[in-house]
Amino acid sequence: MTTEPVAGDDAERKKNRFHFDRHTPEYREQFTEVTAEMLDKCPVAWSDTYGGHWVAAGHSEVFELARSAEYLSNDHDPQHERRGYKGISIPAPDVGFRGGFLEMDPPEQRHYRQLLNPYLSPAAVARWTPLVDEIVRASLNEKIETGRIDFVDDLANIVPAVLTLAMLGVPLNNWDIYVEPVHASVYTPPNSPDMPRIMQSRIAMREDMNRQLAEIRADPRPGLINALAQAEINGTVPPDPELLGVISLLIGGGFDTTTALTSRALEWLSEHPSERARLSRERDTLLDPATEEFLRYFTPAPGDGRTISADCEIAGQQFKEGERIWLSWAMSNRDPAVFPNPNEVDLARTGNRHHSFGLGIHRCIGSNVARMVFKRMVTAVLDRMPDYVCDPAGAEHYQTIGTIQGMKHLPATFTPGPRIGDGLDETIARMQVMVDEQRLADPVTARKGAATIK
Amino acid sequence: MKVHVDPERCQGHTLCAMIAPAIFTLDDVDGHSTAIDGEVPAGQEAKADEAIRSCPEQAISVIP
Repeated sequence: MTTEPVAGDDAERKKNRFHFDRHTPEYREQFTEVTAEMLDKCPVAWSDTYGGHWVAAGHSEVFELARSAEYLSNDHDPQHERRGYKGISIPAPDVGFRGGFLEMDPPEQRHYRQLLNPYLSPAAVARWTPLVDEIVRASLNEKIETGRIDFVDDLANIVPAVLTLAMLGVPLNNWDIYVEPVHASVYTPPNSPDMPRIMQSRIAMREDMNRQLAEIRADPRPGLINALAQAEINGTVPPDPELLGVISLLIGGGFDTTTALTSRALEWLSEHPSERARLSRERDTLLDPATEEFLRYFTPAPGDGRTISADCEIAGQQFKEGERIWLSWAMSNRDPAVFPNPNEVDLARTGNRHHSFGLGIHRCIGSNVARMVFKRMVTAVLDRMPDYVCDPAGAEHYQTIGTIQGMKHLPATFTPGPRIGDGLDETIARMQVMVDEQRLADPVTARKGAATIK
Repeated sequence: MKVHVDPERCQGHTLCAMIAPAIFTLDDVDGHSTAIDGEVPAGQEAKADEAIRSCPEQAISVIP
């Protein structure tokens, strides 16, 4: 941190300055130190990176800012129809559309949330648990006899993807059209030689999304896409690119975040076998707080950008309209003022008011899905591969943690065990029949009760 | 002991109902929380306290 004054009227306002670049490998490597320094010296600081923007790291500062929707805008306006704001990414990606309702403000944002909440509430999500258990069981079956698994490729990439597609109303079998582009887009640097291949897979995914939206509009079937296809927002029918932005948001939010949380937690548990045994033994009381603690410690989605929409003073800092600000859920989750021993994992931590699902009106709409899927995957691994050991030489973390704090690969070995029931392809085919026959993707307003496995 | 969830602050994080299901119920449609009317059941006071301390939106308070 530097405190040299800058020229002009901003001198006092921007006296706390910190060169913050979360897209560099150094930030990942020095996360604990950078975080401690910012929390100690400048919980809100001005950074000269990416055209200049504020960074909020302190827990109480992030809390206050994130809940000030009247002064902080999520709007992304690439066509300059309003004020040209740049949405939630810093820097803003060079795309001509906005990323669903996470890049909107009320009242529009509220209309979308109200439309989709009945598909994603705790009551709506609970019905999917038996189906998730089946996909988890079948995914583990594919590897259980070999004694080797990659927890990313063979489990944590698959289950969230299959479930998200089921909730959308997309055929489950299409999961492999979606997994690779979503996962690889997050971790591949723009200049990578692999980028053309990933762009190809993104185009294929986009084409399938278009096809699904058109199909469902012509011949409705239950799911989130159906709600969108029939939506009126503020009295008008949203154009397709906007709906595709919403679908992309649901897919982006549903896939790689839960994958990241699961792989990081499984890696940590491998490194702490006595804690793993304790979690397995005491899961009835420990699984809930442990899940919140993994969410806090690993913060899969590390933050969100906003744009200041009116001159204001929040958390003791003056902001000017049009300035950009990064709200760091990840750094605020390490604030010692709220979390004793913040850099340690305490599976039984209490008072865990972490920010990993965001705060305020934009709270992660899929938080109930994420928790359920994570818990089902982890407990199944504890039951069927209790002695797994991750291979540090093969474990591959994302090079940077600017977007998702995830892993590309997490290979492990374990004592082989028996298959239980059928494999993944057969299970997915059976689940598709269940989804269709039992109308599992209907909103909770139309359907209650858990899925019945057949 | 009585507790109250401020509906203007609650955003449906669901931690309170996870910690103290006997005290908090979640709306089927949006998952937002409400506290039971009347006294917190005997023996549940510590859970009520933990729910208050865990709410990310600081939406739960003790009614004097």
